[in-house]
Amino acid sequence: MMRTETPEASAELRGVSLAYGRQPVLRELDWRLLPGQVVGLLGRNGAGKTTLLETLLGLRESQQGSIELFGQPVDALDDDCRARIGYVPQQSDLFEGFTAAQLLAYFRSFYPRWNEAKAEGLMSRWEVPRDKPIAKLSGGQQQRLSIIRALAHEPDLLVLDEPVASLDPAGRRDFLRELVERVLDRGTTVVFSTHILSDLERVAFNMAFMKEGRIALQAPLDELLERVRMVEGSPAELQALWQHHRGQVLRETALAGGRERWLLRLDEPANAPALQAVNLEDLFMELS
Amino acid sequence: MSADHFAFRINTGSTEPIYRQLVEQVRRRIAAGQLVAGQEIPSVRELAQALAVHPMTISKAYGLMEMEGLLERRRGLSMVVAQQHRKAQPAASRVELLRPTLERAAAEARQLQLPAAQALRLFEQILKEGDKE
Repeated sequence: MMRTETPEASAELRGVSLAYGRQPVLRELDWRLLPGQVVGLLGRNGAGKTTLLETLLGLRESQQGSIELFGQPVDALDDDCRARIGYVPQQSDLFEGFTAAQLLAYFRSFYPRWNEAKAEGLMSRWEVPRDKPIAKLSGGQQQRLSIIRALAHEPDLLVLDEPVASLDPAGRRDFLRELVERVLDRGTTVVFSTHILSDLERVAFNMAFMKEGRIALQAPLDELLERVRMVEGSPAELQALWQHHRGQVLRETALAGGRERWLLRLDEPANAPALQAVNLEDLFMELS
Repeated sequence: MSADHFAFRINTGSTEPIYRQLVEQVRRRIAAGQLVAGQEIPSVRELAQALAVHPMTISKAYGLMEMEGLLERRRGLSMVVAQQHRKAQPAASRVELLRPTLERAAAEARQLQLPAAQALRLFEQILKEGDKE
């Protein structure tokens, strides 16, 4: 295999556009996921997160732009490349007539790297009934099975679309531990879309904010917490603050009485009484 | 020492990054003499698992603690509390560690236009509630 200076991106999207009828969802979207990155994908309901993830995986055809996974065009992936991808869809796509054991046996045949011990270990740890028809499993059990299916072949790119929506807090913690213990360790690239921000804070080192069909901002969460500050005041006061601290204005919001609120991304971390720190929820509200 | 004994706590939803929260916790415990020179702390892996947090966040925190002289790396990979921290710091210097938090609280008290006495009463009350637990 050829080795180059810069690591090959696990996923690279360039100028990707997609519309449903006349409704644009992705607008010349650029996105790059590097090996080993864990990226939390944030966006409001209807922002197009699922469409983006499905398009990234080649399950939906974009009308414009290019998508490459591990350097291969997504519409012409070879079997090796396909076997390096794991996906937990938002809507369960398990064959409901099968039992869990039958389902896993079926998938095992497609993947040379299928790790039987891992699949079995997770099945018993997460208490998924092996011999009941999948249709009879609870929502949480189906979701666990879907996660096991996606992890068992030890993918290099793992795409998780609301993987924990039907799990209780204990089930979510088990899942996060599994990610931390055995997935992140292998240098797997992970994209994780969820509205449960506390889960993202724990495992996603990078956050990507989706807005108006694009990735509006992607950065390490630590850096955002240390450098993004909210300031309020008259436009003149805010100008002066911004002149003093330097940085990029991410968002301006008009408030009552001619006052404004600015979200600043400072070039250097800074603390001052006028600079209000923000948490991930604030960032979500402002940037998505 | 297992990561459970260590009882690190993290708050999600905070404006303080998780790695910072960990650094400040270790700083306070060393100052209080709860952690002393030579004491081993959990490995990156153990703590990442115990907290269900990305291992990179833990190694970032440990790196910073090493740079600030809170921890040192022993032969092999394990980290221990650094040599100079043999006993608790005097209360006079420990109390300084509260300053950043109290400065924030003071700023908020001013925004709320609270008289100093009232804010202090509340702090006193909160301290007492903690003692009872």
